[in-house]
Amino acid sequence: MEIDKKKCVGCGNCHAVCTMGVIYLDEDGKSVVNQDECVECNTCYRVLRNERRRPWFLRTIRKILSFFRLGYLAEVDVCPTGALTLPELEWPRSIRAVFSDPTTVHPGTGVPGRGTDEIKTNDVTGRVRKGEVGLVIEMGRPGTGAYFRDIEKVAMALAKLKLHFEKKNPVTQLMDNPETGKMKDEVLNEKVLSAIIEMKTELERIPGFLRTLEMVQKEVDTVISVGIASKCLPDGTVPHEEWVKKAGYKFSLNGKTNIGLGRPLFEES
Amino acid sequence: MTNTLHRQGTLESLKNDYIIFAHTARGITCEGSAPKLQKFMRICLKYHPVNIGDDKQGNIYKDDIDIQKLISNQGDGAGALAVFTDLDTLQKVVEELIQADLGISINISGLLDEVQTCCQRAGIQRHSAEHSLGFWGARDRLPEREILEFNTMCGHGMVSFNLIRKMIDYVKLRRLTPKKAARIMAKCCECGAFNPLRAETLLEKVRKGEREIQD
Repeated sequence: MEIDKKKCVGCGNCHAVCTMGVIYLDEDGKSVVNQDECVECNTCYRVLRNERRRPWFLRTIRKILSFFRLGYLAEVDVCPTGALTLPELEWPRSIRAVFSDPTTVHPGTGVPGRGTDEIKTNDVTGRVRKGEVGLVIEMGRPGTGAYFRDIEKVAMALAKLKLHFEKKNPVTQLMDNPETGKMKDEVLNEKVLSAIIEMKTELERIPGFLRTLEMVQKEVDTVISVGIASKCLPDGTVPHEEWVKKAGYKFSLNGKTNIGLGRPLFEES
Repeated sequence: MTNTLHRQGTLESLKNDYIIFAHTARGITCEGSAPKLQKFMRICLKYHPVNIGDDKQGNIYKDDIDIQKLISNQGDGAGALAVFTDLDTLQKVVEELIQADLGISINISGLLDEVQTCCQRAGIQRHSAEHSLGFWGARDRLPEREILEFNTMCGHGMVSFNLIRKMIDYVKLRRLTPKKAARIMAKCCECGAFNPLRAETLLEKVRKGEREIQD
């Protein structure tokens, strides 16, 4: 994101809305974006309504008000002068928007967002089948953001377990070598709001996966949200629950349920 | 995409938070899905969701959004969602969706046992389920629990920690009502998964300095 300093009146509304908290007031009293830390999610641009006020008019009002020790408070969800500007992004910076802005459809997956459909369409795709588990490691979430150099550390540790990275996943597509989890060098210093490593394996390998994640989590400077999914048994039981408990971990009370209304239903041979 | 998986909160608070969404699979159910997605949204709308939207067009809290236009503009695509605050209404929606037999995948995020009960009452068995195993890594970078309860209602992370703090401050200072502050947060969440009614309740509690007991 860029801010047009000719238009900015330094109201500060974009500072709070910024998902990474990386917009600040410069010495000239106008807002500026820390480009290294901005993930190009465009939230500020989308959320703050452009009031199309004339910058000189607002600046004059503010000067007059400040003379009387009064302040000018813009409404919380506006950019009074439309100073926020969408930049043209070039590779590799362009991946920031692809991973961070949910309105962007990833060219590789055809799905908006940072991952694939995972179990959301499992009733028709059969992606996670009987005896299998889907593993979802979302790096940078909640609200912290992640550099690909950290994502690579986790991917490389998990790759040693010989699990299957989901081919259609956007992170997998940025790997130099999915056998090792090594990412392309040019993306390592790119930061995204979050990115999802997706894989699947057999249920009995859950404890090994969790042990590995336990170790590698200490090496990264971001948070990780971990999800685990499987196809239910005919009586509705969730097969991975037993394996997670055996490994000594707790899971959430809430979660996601595919209720199986997709057609044609995927039939396992 | 796991945008509704990691919602934080007490059991009591999560009992008022169910997201139902329609999703299509490329090459299987995506092509020709527009009328089905529109039907899905119309069925949801009938039961007065507290939020409804899709990734492409946004949600009903965005500026200048007309819900009927949002539905009719729904093309073949990934999906749509709606948020409900009680299980009985959710069950009615599920029953009507079963009747409608749209043939697209339907998912529900919420308390897993309650959703399972809802499915069984509606005469179906759940197909697949996903749990959150919580937050790992540099957890010291996370803010306090109350902030996370708001932030995780938008799994895409569009409601920033700083905005939540600002909204809490404004509500405490009576510059904004809890309702208005909740709507501003909901506006940020592009797909409409944010539950503004739950946010309003949480803001009321925060304003009064009440703390919830974590289950």
